[in-house]
Amino acid sequence: MNDNILTPEQVVEQFQQCLGDGLQASRIVKRSEGLKSAESIQIWLTIDKTKIKIAVQQLCDIQYPHLSVISGCDMGEGIELLYHFFIYYGVARGEYSVTIRTTLPKTDLIIDTITDLIPGALTSEREKQEFFGLQVLNIPDSRRMFLPDDFPEGVYPWRKDETGIKEEMVKKLHEVGKAEGAQRRAKNK
Amino acid sequence: MSISKALNKSLWVYHVNTGSCNGCDIEIVAAITPRYDPERFGIKLVGTPRHADVILVTGPVTNKMKDKLLRVYHQTPDPKLVMVIGACGVSGGPFYESYTLSGPVDDVVPVDVYVPGCPPRPESIIFGVVTALKKLEEIQKK
Amino acid sequence: MKESVVSAKKPIKTVIGPIHPALKEPIKFIFEIDGEKVIKVDLAPGHNHRGLEWMATRRNAVQTLYVSERICGICSISHSIAYCRAIEQAADIEVPVRADYLRTIFAEMERIHSHLLWAGVAALELGFDTLFYKAWEVREDLMDLLEYLTGNRVNYGVLQIGGVRRDITPDQHARINKSLLNYTILFDELYDMFLEDTVLRMRCRDTGVLTPEDALKLCTVGPVIRASGIATDVRQDFPYCAYGDLDIKAITPEALAGEVHGDVFDRIIVRLLEVKQSIEIIQQSMKKMPIGPLTNFPKLMVLLNHIKQAEGEGIGRHEAPRGEVFHYIRLAANQESPLVWKVKASTYSNAMSWVKMLEGEQIADIPIIVASVDPCISCTDRVAMVDKGRTSIFTQDDLRRLSRKKTERIRQGLK
Repeated sequence: MNDNILTPEQVVEQFQQCLGDGLQASRIVKRSEGLKSAESIQIWLTIDKTKIKIAVQQLCDIQYPHLSVISGCDMGEGIELLYHFFIYYGVARGEYSVTIRTTLPKTDLIIDTITDLIPGALTSEREKQEFFGLQVLNIPDSRRMFLPDDFPEGVYPWRKDETGIKEEMVKKLHEVGKAEGAQRRAKNK
Repeated sequence: MSISKALNKSLWVYHVNTGSCNGCDIEIVAAITPRYDPERFGIKLVGTPRHADVILVTGPVTNKMKDKLLRVYHQTPDPKLVMVIGACGVSGGPFYESYTLSGPVDDVVPVDVYVPGCPPRPESIIFGVVTALKKLEEIQKK
Repeated sequence: MKESVVSAKKPIKTVIGPIHPALKEPIKFIFEIDGEKVIKVDLAPGHNHRGLEWMATRRNAVQTLYVSERICGICSISHSIAYCRAIEQAADIEVPVRADYLRTIFAEMERIHSHLLWAGVAALELGFDTLFYKAWEVREDLMDLLEYLTGNRVNYGVLQIGGVRRDITPDQHARINKSLLNYTILFDELYDMFLEDTVLRMRCRDTGVLTPEDALKLCTVGPVIRASGIATDVRQDFPYCAYGDLDIKAITPEALAGEVHGDVFDRIIVRLLEVKQSIEIIQQSMKKMPIGPLTNFPKLMVLLNHIKQAEGEGIGRHEAPRGEVFHYIRLAANQESPLVWKVKASTYSNAMSWVKMLEGEQIADIPIIVASVDPCISCTDRVAMVDKGRTSIFTQDDLRRLSRKKTERIRQGLK
C-alpha cells in the first residue's frame, strides 16, 4: 500500500500511462451533500475489454481495492459491464469510487476473470454468467448461483433481446384466483 | 366461544419463509417476545414441522422454494392449518409479477387464515393464530 | 442425530437450509464434516430470488422505491437511501440539507434496532434465552419510536426520491430524547451482560476467525471486516447525507480490548459499540439539523416527469447495519422505468467469508458463526444429513441443542 495519496486526476493519469489506447474515456464526478458540503469523488473509466486485468492490477498497485459489485447493462449491440471498485477506504472522507466500464459485443461475450487478483469477485462473476449469458474465462467455479436448476438454458433475465425473459414465463401473482373469486361472488348474490 | 374451551389445545407454530423480505419474519419473532407473550396461551414457535399444528408461511413462494413448502406441508401431521402472513403471500403484494415466483401461497398449498399487511403488526399475527384456533376447533368437532 | 451417522468414516455431507429467512440471497450450506469438524463448506444461494432488478425495469422510479424498501425488511431504510441517492445522481436532483439529516437520523435508528435484534439472535443461538428476550424487549421501545416518527414498525415508507416524506417536529424531540437516554442506560447493562460474561467470552473467543487479509480479499463489508481490524466504514470514508458533517470514526475491537482477534467475540464488541455510536450520531444530528424544506419536488407528477426526461447513471451507497449496500441505476431519456437497477446487499459481500470462518470449526459452533455475520434470524432452519444415500433430518432445534450443550459444558467446567 502506498502512503502518499494520489489525487483523482493522478489516478486517471496512472491508468492513462499503463493502458494507453486501451483507456477510451474517463471522467471525474464530485458530489457534495450536507451542511459542510463534503465532497465524494467518483472516477469513471471506460476501457477496452482485453485490458481488464491490467486495469485491476493497476488498481491493486495503488491500493488493494474493495470490489463492491460488478453490474451490467444490455445496450443492444453489446453488454456493458461495470466494475465498481473503491480505493482509499479507511481514510476519513478520502475514499474514491473507481468504476471501470467495458463493453462486450454480443458476438463475443467472453471476458477474463479477475478472481485471481480479487477472490471475492467470484460471486459477482457467477451472477453475471447466469444473468447475462456471458462467459468468464478461467472462472474457478462456474455453477449457477441464484437461478433454480430447472431454469431453462439460453434464457438470461437481464438481457433485453430475444434471450431475455419471455412474457409467457412471467407469472402474474395478483391475477391468481381473481376470475374464480368474481364467479363465486356473483353466485352468492 | 369461551377462551378456556378454545384453549384445550396449545397451538404450536412452525414458520416457513418462502422468499419474503424478512419484515414479516421479524414481526413473527417480535410477537413471541415478552411484550406480547403469546406463550401464556400455549402458542409457541417450534423448530420442526412434525411438531406443529399451524404453519406460518411468509413470502411470495419462489420457484426454488415451492417443493420445499410442499414438503413441509406434507410433513405436518393432521389436523393442520396454514396461515399466510403478509401481503406478498396473500396476493403477490409488491412482487405482483415475476419470472421466478410461483405464488401466491394459496396456489401452492391450501390456506386457512390470511393475515394481510406489509408487514402485519404482531397483534394481528396473534389475532390470526386465535382465528386459526377457532377453525381448528370446528375441524375437531366434525 | 443417528449413531450410524456419527460413526461413518468418510466425510459426511451436511446440508443446512434452504428454509432461511434472509435478505436478497438466502443461502443453503453444504458442509463436509468429519466427526465434529467442518472440513469443507459450499454455498448455494438463490432460494429467495424474486427477480427484483428485473421488476424495476417494468415499473416507474417511485414504484421501485417501495420495492427497494422490501429487499430486506430490516434494512429497509438502508436500501431506500442507497436507491434514492443513485436516482438523485442519475437525474441530477438536489436534496435539501434537512432531508439529509432526517435520513441520517432514521438510518441510525434502524441500526440500533437491527443490532439489538442481532444481539438477541446471537444470544439465542448460544443458549442465553433470558438475554434474547431482554434484547428483543428493549428493542420494542425503538420500534415504538420509529412508529411514532414514521407511522410504521417495519418498512417505514418515509423516504422519497429528492427528500423525505415526514418531518421531525420540535414537539417530538422530547420523546426521542427520552428514548435515547433510556438506551444510554440500557447500553451499560447490555455491555455487562455480553462482554463481562465469562462463559460467553470463552464460547466466542477464537471461534470463527477471519484474518484481515482474507477479509480484504473476499470483499467483506460492515461489522465483519471492522471486527477483523480494518477500519473501514462508508459513513467515515465516503461522505454522504449528513455523515460528512459529523465526526464519525470506524469502530474496531481495538477500541475496547486493545487487540484484534477477528473472531465472533470481536463482532459482538463492534456491534455493541456501534449502538452507542448511533445514539451519539442521532444526538449530534438533532442538534445540528437546519430548518428547511423536506423536498424540492413536493408534487409527485413533477418528480416522475423529471426522472422520465433525465438521462444518466448514478451510484448510491450506504452503510447498512450489516455493511455496505450499493445501488447502481441507469436512466434513459423518455423512459419511465430505469434501464438497469443493480442492488448489492451486505450479505452478498459477506457470504464468501463464511467459508473461511467455518472451515475447521465444530458443528456446535455453526449456528453462532453463521449468526455472527448477521445474515438473518434462523439460517440454520433445517439440516439434512446424508449418509450413504440415507438422509436423516437434523432440525434447527437439534443444531441449537448442540450449541447449547457446548455452552453448558463450558459453564459446568467453570464451577
